[in-house]
Amino acid sequence: MLLIYSILPAALLHNFPCSGVIFSLFLIKQSDSYLSATFLCLAAIRYICCLTQQILNLLYTMKRFMKHPLGIIALLSVVLITSCSKDSAEPDPSMGYIQLASGFAAGTSTHVEVYATDSAFTGYNKLYILLKDSVTGKPVDNAAVLLNPMMAMMSMSHSSPKENPVSNIAVNHFFPCSVSFIMPSTAGTWTLGVQIQNLENGKSGTASFTINVKDPFYAKMFSFKSLADNSTTYFVGYAEPSKPIVGINDLELVIYKKESMMLFPADSSLSVMVTPEMPTMNHGSPNNVDPVHVINGHYKGKVNFTMTGLWRLNLKLKSGTTVVDSTHYIDLTF
Amino acid sequence: MKQLIFMAALVHLLVPGHAQAKHITGKTTDSIPVVQLEEVKVYGLAKNTNQQLLHYYTANQAATTEDILARLPELNMIRRSSYGMEPVIRTYSSGQSGLLIDGMRIHGACTDKMDPASIYVEPQNLQSVQIQTGHGFQSGSVIGGSVDLKLAEAVFNDSGKWSGSVSSGYQSAANAWYETGKLNYSGNRLAVMTNISWRKAGNYRSGGGAVIPYSQYGKLNYGVTALYKLNPNWTAKADLLLDDGWNIGYPALPMDVGYAGARIAALSLRNESGRGRWQQTELKIYANAIRHFMDDAHRLNVPMHMDMPGESRTYGGYASSRLVINSNTQLDLKADLSSTFLKASMTMYQQGQSPMYMLTWPDNNTLQTGLGAVFSKRINSASVLMLSARADLFSKVLTTQTAKDQLSVLNKPVNNVNRFLKNISLEYSYRFNDRVKLKTVLSYSERMPTSSELYGFYLFNAFDGYDYIGNTLLIPENAWKAEANISGKSGIFQYGLTGYVSRINNYIMGIYQPGLSTMTIGANGVKQHSNLPYAMIAGAEASLIVQPDHALWLINTTRYSYGEDHAHNALPMIPPVKNTSSLRKMIGPCAVQAELELATAQNRVNSKAMERTTAAYAIAHLRLMYSGALAGNSFRIDGGVENLFDQAYREHLDWGGIHRPGRNIYLQFTFQF
Repeated sequence: MLLIYSILPAALLHNFPCSGVIFSLFLIKQSDSYLSATFLCLAAIRYICCLTQQILNLLYTMKRFMKHPLGIIALLSVVLITSCSKDSAEPDPSMGYIQLASGFAAGTSTHVEVYATDSAFTGYNKLYILLKDSVTGKPVDNAAVLLNPMMAMMSMSHSSPKENPVSNIAVNHFFPCSVSFIMPSTAGTWTLGVQIQNLENGKSGTASFTINVKDPFYAKMFSFKSLADNSTTYFVGYAEPSKPIVGINDLELVIYKKESMMLFPADSSLSVMVTPEMPTMNHGSPNNVDPVHVINGHYKGKVNFTMTGLWRLNLKLKSGTTVVDSTHYIDLTF
Repeated sequence: MKQLIFMAALVHLLVPGHAQAKHITGKTTDSIPVVQLEEVKVYGLAKNTNQQLLHYYTANQAATTEDILARLPELNMIRRSSYGMEPVIRTYSSGQSGLLIDGMRIHGACTDKMDPASIYVEPQNLQSVQIQTGHGFQSGSVIGGSVDLKLAEAVFNDSGKWSGSVSSGYQSAANAWYETGKLNYSGNRLAVMTNISWRKAGNYRSGGGAVIPYSQYGKLNYGVTALYKLNPNWTAKADLLLDDGWNIGYPALPMDVGYAGARIAALSLRNESGRGRWQQTELKIYANAIRHFMDDAHRLNVPMHMDMPGESRTYGGYASSRLVINSNTQLDLKADLSSTFLKASMTMYQQGQSPMYMLTWPDNNTLQTGLGAVFSKRINSASVLMLSARADLFSKVLTTQTAKDQLSVLNKPVNNVNRFLKNISLEYSYRFNDRVKLKTVLSYSERMPTSSELYGFYLFNAFDGYDYIGNTLLIPENAWKAEANISGKSGIFQYGLTGYVSRINNYIMGIYQPGLSTMTIGANGVKQHSNLPYAMIAGAEASLIVQPDHALWLINTTRYSYGEDHAHNALPMIPPVKNTSSLRKMIGPCAVQAELELATAQNRVNSKAMERTTAAYAIAHLRLMYSGALAGNSFRIDGGVENLFDQAYREHLDWGGIHRPGRNIYLQFTFQF
């Protein structure tokens, strides 16, 4: 009995002082065991509700905490303590990488492996190059890597837009880079040359792989001739979101200009307007942010999806005030 | 003071031996009108000191809860289907008023308000209806008032007896069947009541003969209530109420309900001894869960089929008691808390594509804690002063990352909405003499925006054809309200006249957003819930009861409402003047009742809400009742014709311009043992 009388007011006072005071007064007035028992139930419910609320608040606070540098350090230290850092040379299969090709770069004592998150497709492909010392099998984290994609057709050949690794130092053993295959392998044969300079053993050489490039179900890249001069050819590729969600998504497009069969430099001169639409529903979404050029032909903005399903990004590209293309779109589904 | 108390306990009218039921009391304060419905026995209940003279208003045994609620002058029904009408107090929206079942908060699981809590209560498990039009001490922070549907309960009997009834009926307009069964056990410490009712209706025939497609429904409602007397002062009560509805058509909406189920449970303890300083103490914990599946599977010419399931779960409890300070002064206290989880989603199917899925109510939880007090003081033999106050703490949160991500698409939403709401009211009543009693109320109240208003995500409103999106930056509405009531009794006449006016600041209404693209195919545009500077609502209700002798009654009620926004535009959903008359004559074991409903036209409409005008109408009903005895048990027959002259008509609050049922011949047979 004493327990009930001491716990209950405290329990109720916990979050709602007024009710606690009144209830406790009330209990003393009544001095009835049934009443006390029911109050215990009520208090329990109160607690459950409060607890739920507290947990929700805690989660919310944690989220904010994460934004603070000290918070991240604290969290990281927890992560480090709980998970012993394993130094694995193999790509973590849980990261969803798949191997597109592998082989030796002649004369470098280095094994070259090419990874991606998806099999190669027509469009902007993010690639991850892993170099391994052919004797020890240990990853080579210090190397200069240059890509040379080449399409061999019946009578001619051409290259494609590409991004070499920005640094000679690997990120988590991988050299991130990209190739924008501008047509599928049905038109000819794609060869990816990976020229490396192993800065750990000082040897240089090239590995060459045949890559099978397929057209995705929904095109991820298109090209157009500028309406301004009716001659310049641009390539526009879809980079992000690779995993769209219902909500705000970071939108990233890449734009390249064709200067010659071998030269596809990044373009930063265009302005892009994106209008998302659900073609089957004929509606759009609010509060999108048109992508603007950030670096190396990458244009970043926001695209909002209000539901899952098939979405179409209608694109309008301008050079200054002149519309250079407004007929193309990129479809995606999730 | 509101003197009118309506009663539908027709049995007692018809059988003189049951006349003691007239003296049943409502367990309420004087300011709350009580509608006493079922045959209520006196045994365990008539302990209350607040005696009120009861007058009778009838609804037949075949009526639904909605039919009964529609007859109360303070209530209007928003109709989207032949079943599942939404009761609203005066012209306040459902978000502005509270609808409770036996003090329990219950939130519909449908984003389109297809399932107001009233659909879960059948007339046979409804004991009374408490309507509070002032400030809602009992129900929470509301600006329009509250309706509490009190559940029927078993009664104690020293001898321990079994009783029950079965009833079967048919209604012609919708080819509808209505079957009920009830079994009670009344012991001296334990009393149990079980009941079941089943309804099935086809598409109904409207006045003039047109059949309204998608107006069918089927439902099963069953429950058990047990009372256990712990000691002479304390009684424990357990309620379990279950309701399953299926294939419910909503002709005014583009979708129907495949299945809707409610599970409602409560445990309570109460002290009705009427002695001591603390009286009428009640402690209750409850839980309810609703699942609702809306789809358009049976609709023709739909561009794309969709499913819209929703769910609602509420847990809560309250403690209330009355502190009797002295014979003239008392303090009613109530503390309550509840937690409501809501989630609703939409999935559309297009062949050859991945399904289109989104949350229409992003998962959200509302935690509410409130404390209310009513201080009443009898100043002298003629005047009473009541001061009531209530504070509510609301905390609404989005509970999942998916919900937060999705809502982030809208302009700068916040995930957590915390509001502290304050309400206060002052009531003064003065009794000049038996013939004239005056009551005046002045109140200030606030209300929490609903989950739809805060978090709703492209909810299609079939009334104006716009998609509605929520706004987490809404300011709670607050209202200043004045109400005056004059009532009295003179000879065979009893009258009541109420006038009210309120100014609602930060009035929440959907405002057209031209920059946003619609979600629903064919929608007119997107509206976002926004605060208008203010709106005014006013109105009046009058009632007159004439009772020349015990065999003849005339009841007449009239109501009128007016509403305008800050720019003097008409508010939508304001009903015109409506007058209902009922004349009942008893002839031996029979009763004949004639009813007349009159409504004027409503041409003052809100064009932005695509509201259409409504024509005046007059309809008449004729009802006959007979009670008799059969093998020592009693039975009764209810029969009659509703909409006698088969008028094609609709009320102003009916959505979609759909006519109401035409001539409806009904017959209900009830056997009691």
